[in-house]
Amino acid sequence: MISGLTPLAVTSVTTSVALTVSMGLVLVAMIVWLARVEDIRSYVPASDIGGGAGQTEYGHEEKPGGITRWLTTVDHKDIGVLYGVYSVITLAWGGLSVLIMRTELLDPPATLIQSTTYNALLTSHGITLLFLFGTPILAAFANYFVPLLIGADDMAFPRINSIAFWLLPPGALLIWAGFFIPGIAPSQTSWTMYTPLSIQQPSPAVDLMLLGLHLTGVSATMGAINFIATIFTERAEEVDWANLDIFSWTVLTQSGLILFSFPLLGSALVMLLLDRNFGTTFFTVGGGGPLLWQNLFWFFGHPEVYIIVLPPMGLISIILPKFSGRKLFGFKFVVYSTLAIGVLSFGVWAHHMFATGMDPRLRASFMAVTLAIAVPSAVKTFNWMTTMWNGRLRLTAPMLFCIGFVSLFIIGGVTGVFLASIPVDLVLTDTYYVVGHFHFILMAILTAVFAGVYYWFPLYTGKWYQRGLAKWHFWLFMIGSNLTFFAMILLGYAGMPRRYATYNVDIGPVAQFTDLHQVATLGAYLIGLSGIIFLWNIVQSWLEGPPVQSSDPWELAEDGLLTNEWQWFDHQRETAITDGGAESEETDTDTDDNSEETA
Amino acid sequence: MSTTEDDSTDGHSHHLPAVEDWPQGFGEASWWPFVTALGAAGLYVGAGLFLLGQGDDALVGASVGPATIIAGVVLFLVGLYGWVYHGFVKHYWSRDAEDSTGKLRWGMLLFLGTEVATFGAGFVYYFFIRVGPWPPGELPDLLSSLVLANTAILILSSVTLHFAHSALRNGNRRRFAGLLGTTVLLGVVFLAGQVLEYYEFIVGEGFTLSSGIYFSAFFGLTGLHGLHVTLGVILLALLSVRTLYGHYSPERHTSVSTVSMYWHFVDAVWIFLVVTLYVGAAFTL
Ligand code: HEM
Ligand SMILES: [Cu+2]
Repeated sequence: MISGLTPLAVTSVTTSVALTVSMGLVLVAMIVWLARVEDIRSYVPASDIGGGAGQTEYGHEEKPGGITRWLTTVDHKDIGVLYGVYSVITLAWGGLSVLIMRTELLDPPATLIQSTTYNALLTSHGITLLFLFGTPILAAFANYFVPLLIGADDMAFPRINSIAFWLLPPGALLIWAGFFIPGIAPSQTSWTMYTPLSIQQPSPAVDLMLLGLHLTGVSATMGAINFIATIFTERAEEVDWANLDIFSWTVLTQSGLILFSFPLLGSALVMLLLDRNFGTTFFTVGGGGPLLWQNLFWFFGHPEVYIIVLPPMGLISIILPKFSGRKLFGFKFVVYSTLAIGVLSFGVWAHHMFATGMDPRLRASFMAVTLAIAVPSAVKTFNWMTTMWNGRLRLTAPMLFCIGFVSLFIIGGVTGVFLASIPVDLVLTDTYYVVGHFHFILMAILTAVFAGVYYWFPLYTGKWYQRGLAKWHFWLFMIGSNLTFFAMILLGYAGMPRRYATYNVDIGPVAQFTDLHQVATLGAYLIGLSGIIFLWNIVQSWLEGPPVQSSDPWELAEDGLLTNEWQWFDHQRETAITDGGAESEETDTDTDDNSEETA
Repeated sequence: MSTTEDDSTDGHSHHLPAVEDWPQGFGEASWWPFVTALGAAGLYVGAGLFLLGQGDDALVGASVGPATIIAGVVLFLVGLYGWVYHGFVKHYWSRDAEDSTGKLRWGMLLFLGTEVATFGAGFVYYFFIRVGPWPPGELPDLLSSLVLANTAILILSSVTLHFAHSALRNGNRRRFAGLLGTTVLLGVVFLAGQVLEYYEFIVGEGFTLSSGIYFSAFFGLTGLHGLHVTLGVILLALLSVRTLYGHYSPERHTSVSTVSMYWHFVDAVWIFLVVTLYVGAAFTL
């Protein structure tokens, strides 16, 4: 297994790595050089360019009505809402597809659906939730709040922002096309699209999926360029690097990761399309080989997992201190660890390939870097815990979800560290243990998203959500997640391989498999139920919830924790009142209706 | 400007990109991004339909895909035109350019960063096969005079563009226009050279995209680069047209500067490509 490759191939890998790195350096040097040459006469320090942005142009009242407003909007807040709505739809599809799969797994044989259907759902579940939900939902938060937090009028390129969003719905349709075009089978490549399987699958649904993925990748890249340009050039005068908020820091780092990983995936996808349709040899056995696909895919894929976890970490770092009554502990170190993760995450991709027979020396170095990346992750965890330590904790819904995040992230991280160890990984790879590991982290990401939705709910709706339902949502979600994914960790220890529709096997502990799968399915139903409660709560409260009575609904001012976006909110409300807007005059009464929540 | 004089009284403040946009009368709203995105999506959907139209059991007619692609391209260009025209061209001289220069330059630099990754994947493939047994079958004569001439032409075009830009900054518009035109011309000649080379390889010697592992890299990378040069020529041509309309001055040259960055970058990629893909393939150590 270790020496599956010839010495020649081993040198080839090392040489390629060296060549790739040097090529990257050359071209980056080119860019730096260009920036200087082109700048000689017109150079203005970057931080001064945004100087005008102090004049925060709060709110843009003039908008067309009805559907036209949404199709033509270039306002970052509207676009944020669009991203949010889109993500709810994709989340629903991703969740439904997996509930069908979990139901199928209640008993060992394939009874409910065929294994091909199972594979198709598996593929769609992973791709939908990682590409069509994970990245967009974070763009929803980043669009809405980064400009508010840094005191900018809008994004640097409002129209590119709008284009980037509108590329997503057609992208999703292409990715899902296999399910609703009669006569073709949906793609069954799994989200990793490993060759030769993905080259040989005859259904054109695979091609459509690859095209859709490319399109959504273009969208993500445009978004990333926009966020970086915004944070660099549009900050208000009083916002400098030292007091840039932590969420914007994570969005900045995330965008940096997107900048280099998504275009690379894009090219790899096109190469795969060419292999499938035009007889090229990029990833064929006689050509670049299946391992080349894996190298390229994971060079994208590992940064991708940090692309979807860094902004949630930022959300937690911004929300958790608010309900601990104190500032984030060790702010600087949270920033540094974010940057460290950003850099390191490009150097660990081969930990997804430990079992492929790559050069053992190379493998060991990837193990070392992978273990190293756990350090900055742990730094953050300790910072969150020390922030809560001796704090005045207020267990509101956003705070509960923050705590849920920390606990899920710890389990996900610790199980990851075990996988980073080569000997352990060789046993556990391709089992349910891996599925358990990354779902703990993905569930943590979801909790951060929920924390953000509840925390800013008063700000973007002007209403209150129903607290009782939010707590039901939280507990069902947490219990469900732990049931499901702990069962998966155990399934992995027992040797259950991942990505199978059946486990009707002659050898192996089928009885235990069955029990654990049933527990996992039960947990999944609980998560599904919590999702319905969430959706109901949000929609119902948005339409009919009690209006917020204060510009500081979370009473942050007394702890000195009021951040820019609430000042914007305050301004919004005042404008609404002087305009004779919807709000009543009793705004500044102190009898706040959320006393229960904030007590 | 302070927060007090906010938009409710003074909606058409100058930083808003285009007040006379479509739909009219709204400071901000615009149909162009939506149209542009729809066009781009049409391109992808068209490519998908094209693939669905292949083979014996084709699901759609063979011409549906190409037709959709063409429609997509047209829509895309219309959207782009509307956007750029209203955003940058319409009120060229009265627009306040200062605050957008910095971010546009940032945008271009970041875009070039993504390009490193885009080309990177193809080069990685090439290095993967290049360190294997070499040559991998029959290769054409790679170091022809055509390639050398083409390389010289592309480098020269970078030089002319650089001096065009300097001339503009020195206020010499006539020289600027002349050198810019020369650059466009050189770009076109380069593209013609590429077409000629492809013709010789494909028709003359029968080497195509599917002729083996080297040709995947060769056509893949030179094709990708050729697309970039084509885009660059279009951008340079747009600069020339705008120059004819009297745009640009020593103080206002943002798009000249961003397009220059792009052009120099594409030039640098070509040199890298010649060194690895042509010279590197022709010689074995
Ligand atoms: C705390 C540090 C982490 C370490 C040391 C770590 C380690 C690993 C390792 C070694 C694997 C490969 C397992 C195998 O395939 O045999 C893996 C898989 C995975 N990890 Fe992590 N991980 C960490 C954090 C994360 C984070 C933050 C995320 C997501 C946001 C994540 C998501 C994933 C995913 C999606 C996979 C499986 C990919 C697949 O095969 O489909 N991990 N992790
Ligand atoms: Cu990884």
